[in-house]
Amino acid sequence: MPCADASRVQAYFDGEVDAVGAAEIERHLERCADCRALLDELEQLRAAIRRDLPYINTPPPLRASILRALDQESLDRQGAAPNARPRSEQPGSWRSRPFWKGAFSGFGATAVAASLAFLLLAPPSANPLLDELVNAHVRSLMPDHLIDVVSTDKHTVKPWFAGHTDVSPVVADFAEQGYRLVGGRADYFDHQRAAVVVYQHGSHLINVFSWAATDASLPKDSSRNGYHLAFWKAGNLAYCAVSDTGWDELRGLVQLLQDLGVHDDRQ
Amino acid sequence: MDDRRRRFEELVLPHMDAAYRFARWLSRAPGDADDVVQEAILRAFRGFEALRGSDVKPWLLAIVRNCHLTALKQQQRRAFVPLPEEHDAEDGQALIATTPDPESASMRLDEQRTLERLMSALPDEHREVLVLREIEEMDYREIAAVTNVPIGTVMSRLARARAALKTRWQKEADREPHALR
Repeated sequence: MPCADASRVQAYFDGEVDAVGAAEIERHLERCADCRALLDELEQLRAAIRRDLPYINTPPPLRASILRALDQESLDRQGAAPNARPRSEQPGSWRSRPFWKGAFSGFGATAVAASLAFLLLAPPSANPLLDELVNAHVRSLMPDHLIDVVSTDKHTVKPWFAGHTDVSPVVADFAEQGYRLVGGRADYFDHQRAAVVVYQHGSHLINVFSWAATDASLPKDSSRNGYHLAFWKAGNLAYCAVSDTGWDELRGLVQLLQDLGVHDDRQ
Repeated sequence: MDDRRRRFEELVLPHMDAAYRFARWLSRAPGDADDVVQEAILRAFRGFEALRGSDVKPWLLAIVRNCHLTALKQQQRRAFVPLPEEHDAEDGQALIATTPDPESASMRLDEQRTLERLMSALPDEHREVLVLREIEEMDYREIAAVTNVPIGTVMSRLARARAALKTRWQKEADREPHALR
């Protein structure tokens, strides 16, 4: 026969009682072994659920598909009623709610904010290549721009480049070393179609750009607007890894790619 | 990007992952969850004006739930489909987060699968309150808003759901002692 206060113990456990109620329940818990056992069970169950159940996020292809559907929907709306905006879109009607709450919690929103800040604040640098690369990196962080071919498999990404870019860079998954292959993208800069391989390191994205190298020397490794750029040449390709990770993390990936490049050339 | 779309991205899209997780727990098959969450976000976008003063996350998850129920009804009308006994192996793998300690990895994998299977086997109304409370960490009021029942009902369902899960978990542990610490 469970204690009559069992449901209050649950409410207490869920943080749904005020301070006075909590004090009452704590006094009750001292006296009631059944309720102490119940509280213990609730804690164990929560711990198990939070430890053992998967905390999954939206797969990137689904996210991309949803954003595309929203693009389409936005276009349809604009086409259908260019002048007739719903009343609630008038200024004022939504200001009463906490507008900023959650506004920057999403990766996309943060990236957009970062990119806007960058585009507005960045002074032009002496080396246009640096600007182009950082611009391309920032553009890639905007929703739906990051990846053209989503894959964690280098055997999918590499052939895709053959049809979409002018170069064929090294592609590998370094998930074991903490650099997960996310996909690839074609980008246009320095007057050619460059190949971009996208890696994820923790919560950071790393874009590895590659393009046909010229005789001109590459810029030195440098930082612009919080982004680090690491350059190297391998074979007839120039590479640049761009990210907001720390230098050590970025150079870790560069080292892995360079080691692999040597290996590739032998084959 | 127009103003409405921008506001939608700022307010609603940060909750896309929560919407997807919730859809995954409601749906029997991952593919169904994809459709449900996409439909829900489009509906949310169309009905964005209806969101006024209320919390965004419960509002979005309520739409996810409605989309799920609509899809379920359509499926039931189309055909009588037997429910899968359990997730196939590949699907289970994809759901499981990485384990930090390789030595206990296989044991942890067992526990994860056991709990996941037990959760999946719970009645829908039990599973949904547990997911909203323990995984999405919503309070009673928010759960009531998502599931469209009074707070008292949330409390009693939550109590029954926890008791049911605990009983099944205990049974499992008695059968396979290593599956539970």
